[in-house]
Amino acid sequence: MALHIADYLIIIVYFLFVLGVGFIIKRRIKSSNDFLTSGRNIPLWITSLAFISANLGAQEVLGMVASGAKYGIMTVHFYWVGAIFAMVFLGVFMMPFYYGSKARSVPEFLKLRFDEKTRGLNAISFAAMTVFSSGISLYALAKLLEVILHWDFDVSIAMAAGIVMIYTFLGGLTSAVYNEVLQFFLIVLGLSPLVIVALHDAGGWANIKTLLQPQFTHAWKYMGHADTNPMGINFMSLIFGLGFVMSFGYWCTDFLVVQRAMMAKNMSAAQRTPIIAAIPKMFMPLIVVLPGVIALALLQPALASKGFTMPADANGGIDYTMALPSLIAHYYPTGLLGVGITALIASFMSGMAGNVTAFNSVFTYDIYQSYFVKHKSDRHYLIFGKMVTVAGILLSIATAYIAKSFNNINDFLQLVFSFVNGPLFATFLLGMFWKRTTGHGAFAGLLAGTIAAALTHGLTLAEGKGGWIYPLYEIHSGMGQAFIVASVSWIVNFVTTIIVSLLTKPKPENELVGLVYSLTVKPSYKQEKWYLRAAPLGLILIIVTIILNLIFF
Amino acid sequence: MYKRLNNLGFVIGTFFVIISLILLIGGLFSESLDNTLDYYTGFSFLIFGFCMAFFNRKNDQQ
Repeated sequence: MALHIADYLIIIVYFLFVLGVGFIIKRRIKSSNDFLTSGRNIPLWITSLAFISANLGAQEVLGMVASGAKYGIMTVHFYWVGAIFAMVFLGVFMMPFYYGSKARSVPEFLKLRFDEKTRGLNAISFAAMTVFSSGISLYALAKLLEVILHWDFDVSIAMAAGIVMIYTFLGGLTSAVYNEVLQFFLIVLGLSPLVIVALHDAGGWANIKTLLQPQFTHAWKYMGHADTNPMGINFMSLIFGLGFVMSFGYWCTDFLVVQRAMMAKNMSAAQRTPIIAAIPKMFMPLIVVLPGVIALALLQPALASKGFTMPADANGGIDYTMALPSLIAHYYPTGLLGVGITALIASFMSGMAGNVTAFNSVFTYDIYQSYFVKHKSDRHYLIFGKMVTVAGILLSIATAYIAKSFNNINDFLQLVFSFVNGPLFATFLLGMFWKRTTGHGAFAGLLAGTIAAALTHGLTLAEGKGGWIYPLYEIHSGMGQAFIVASVSWIVNFVTTIIVSLLTKPKPENELVGLVYSLTVKPSYKQEKWYLRAAPLGLILIIVTIILNLIFF
Repeated sequence: MYKRLNNLGFVIGTFFVIISLILLIGGLFSESLDNTLDYYTGFSFLIFGFCMAFFNRKNDQQ
């Protein structure tokens, strides 16, 4: 793949714009709240698009296209079983607690609802995860540019990290969020022509259905048994593991995305943020799953005349992660090639900036201000927040080089993240809806859930991974293993939290007002039109999602 | 002008207008850019960019 002047020009214009946004936003930054939380002053359409953009990083764009090529249309379950229902739940039921509690972060909410040690555990694990995620994103970007454009690895790292550092240092969260919205449009509009031309070249969806095995073009029909579908899981594992534990765990408790909704101007807008975000999210499979299925169809012998190929991985099989870059290289001419490459770069930078801004909020408020230096001036925390931004980027660069030296560290870190994230939703669910839940219960549940996740992974084997204690049980796919690990950790956390809570003293009810469902006055929007209320909008989204599942059944 | 630059819709719209001009003008002067796909995409970006820059001001008032 070779770039020409027009392609480079587009990449340069993009870099100038993201840096320009940083310089423009800089003038608005007067306090630590402006820098770290945007001062709760961002319009609804921006918070909504930023909400899904924070998730539209490299793993989402490249990973979902790869999954589309590997597992077929079943990959839409990440959206139509996972994301949409969780986002509606977050908007209707959980945002009133996050926003109403005035907490500046998810760990701070845990402190208000439970105690200091639960906050500390969550803050430290989240800060570590975000900075490592940012580093892995940076490594993946540099590696991709090295493979497809033969750019120097070190130059790519310095360029991407330097640009993200400048605009997040200047404008903090607002700058990151504004750029995320720009990146959202660039990714969606930059990849849309690819879907259209590739789909046309493959003969349309009807032709793809005749070329591929039916398991790759039906979302539910072959999910009765794990042996009959490419993902190797049955519908029960999917619905509980992905649809409930993993998706709700991510969309409802991960501060990286929840932070975007917490920036809204008022409670109504905060509640509608994930729900409005769910509308484009619902149709995102057209951009990130369909290209993978098209790539798989183009590899079939009947379409060999199209000349589309994909590189092999180290084991000699198809390297599915190269599905999107291969499609871009095959179909995009000079000019549009620059747009496609810029869209890929944008997705990596979006993921990195999202992680860095979440990291600096949690590190400044939940670790530094809570445990090390209390009661200092606001200016002190503003300067420290900026220093943490730089430190976060430098740690990301270090992680990127560690990942380069030890390739397996990516898998290892992703695994550790799943151990921490898997059980977290049980803690929130019990904390928000059962007033008897105690701080000791939450803390013990989180620890037990994380240990259970590690043990389950150590006792199961899938695609050569896991089984490091003893390969007691074999699972068909790595995806299926992830769902089972998450499910076990969630159940262990849920049960442990209940048992320990019943054995320990709960907080007085007056301290739980605004934090627990049964003790909180619900916001009423009866005077507002139905389309401005979270619940009716959420209901419509759920109905449309069910219809989409039926269409691709 | 500074007030306009604070309007995210205007910034995004301007970005897509510039990208569309690169695709469209580049196509006129470079043989390697004469692909129909560039023109279609360029026109689409141009329309989107103008709409975003000039019809989105009300929603983005800070």
